[in-house]
Amino acid sequence: MIERRDDELSRIYRDAEGPRPPQRVDDNILAASQRVAGARRRHAGFRFARRWGTPVALAATVLVTFTLALMVFERESGLDAMAPETPRTDRQAKVLPAEPRADQPGTPSPLVLRPIAPAPPISQVLQRDPVGQGPGGSTVSRGGLGTGQPAFAPEVPRAPDALRKREEAKPAPAAAAPAASERASVERQPPAQSAPELRQQAPQATAPPAAGAGGLLESASTVRSAGGFASPLAVSEAKERTPEKWLEDIRKLRTEGKTTEVERELAEFRKRYPDYILPEDLR
Amino acid sequence: MRSEASDEELMLRYGKGDAGAFEALYRRHRLPLYRFLLRQVGNAESAEELFQDLWMRVVNSRGRYEVRAKFTSWVYAIAHNRLMDFYRANGRASFVSHEESESVLEDLPAGEIAADLRLDRKRAVERLLAALGELPDAQREAFLLQQESELSIEEIAAATEVSPETAKSRLRYAVAKLRASLGKKS
Repeated sequence: MIERRDDELSRIYRDAEGPRPPQRVDDNILAASQRVAGARRRHAGFRFARRWGTPVALAATVLVTFTLALMVFERESGLDAMAPETPRTDRQAKVLPAEPRADQPGTPSPLVLRPIAPAPPISQVLQRDPVGQGPGGSTVSRGGLGTGQPAFAPEVPRAPDALRKREEAKPAPAAAAPAASERASVERQPPAQSAPELRQQAPQATAPPAAGAGGLLESASTVRSAGGFASPLAVSEAKERTPEKWLEDIRKLRTEGKTTEVERELAEFRKRYPDYILPEDLR
Repeated sequence: MRSEASDEELMLRYGKGDAGAFEALYRRHRLPLYRFLLRQVGNAESAEELFQDLWMRVVNSRGRYEVRAKFTSWVYAIAHNRLMDFYRANGRASFVSHEESESVLEDLPAGEIAADLRLDRKRAVERLLAALGELPDAQREAFLLQQESELSIEEIAAATEVSPETAKSRLRYAVAKLRASLGKKS
């Protein structure tokens, strides 16, 4: 019996005026419930972001990194494809590096790209040390030593011919070193001269007609050792003369009997292209 | 028979973000729960505090609510636990749950409600509420749980974390004492 509800007591109990919670309590509770319900709807989206945010971010990072690496690789491959067709080792033997390296002052610097100082007038050249030792100690035309002629005098007149020849030669970086030899006068050029001045002086240097080919074949090292800017013309000529052309010029010197110059040119050639196998007639 | 959603359905819908479901649930149970709390703590201020805290716990449990029992069993269990915390916090003597012997029941009057009280409902209510306040806490709680939540003995036992026999005993004593108080002539 007692387990069942006591109806009589229940009726009396229900007759009691039921106390009610204050309205503000109702409002507080309902407001909180709505606030939480709204936050839960927002959190549904945040939950997705929390769950997938990190994996997506990692995947995006990997993708971007891979894409960048691929782009860099393709760019480098493209640059290699655009480079001259000669094998890399041959290129290293025949082609001057594009930029002079400051950490290697002794290495031949690229005459192709490094401007050389404009050629001083012939008179200045003749007043200089006839031995022609450049700052770098590299060889200079010694044609004057044995011949009694000024070191640079016989070389200057050949500038026009050499210039023409080199302009016709292939525009390879390999021509940079031999082309630099043309500018015997630029060996000791002041570094401050500008390219226009160099161009202006170049015709002066080419005026005397009697210069030999050796003057134009001044070693690249002597020009570099001058420490100045090569003229744009010299740069272009050096860039144009190929090893084959250089050897051809050497042969011409030999036929002309200028053995000293031939030897000098061959030495420079070997320095420039150590891996180049000289023809038998020039060994 | 309710045509509207059950308490459990409303709570699950609220768990999914339906604020309207919670409001329906709240409107349905706010008065019984408030009375249950008020008639145990004896003052409105404490009852309001407990009441608000109880419902905030319901709100915060929306995400992990599962239909393991009736909603009323669950919510009154929360109310019971909150009451215990209140008693401990207020230095009230440990929840009086001493189980009285059967002999006490035998000593109680027959339990017939006085005739005058049958006619005077207002006085009957006053006498009942007064007697209710004098009951031991556990017996009072058992009676109020039965009256307010319509829970069975087993559900009352589960909500108060006692055995069904203990719950039954408490309820028996409560009813007997209340009847005895109403049977006395004013």
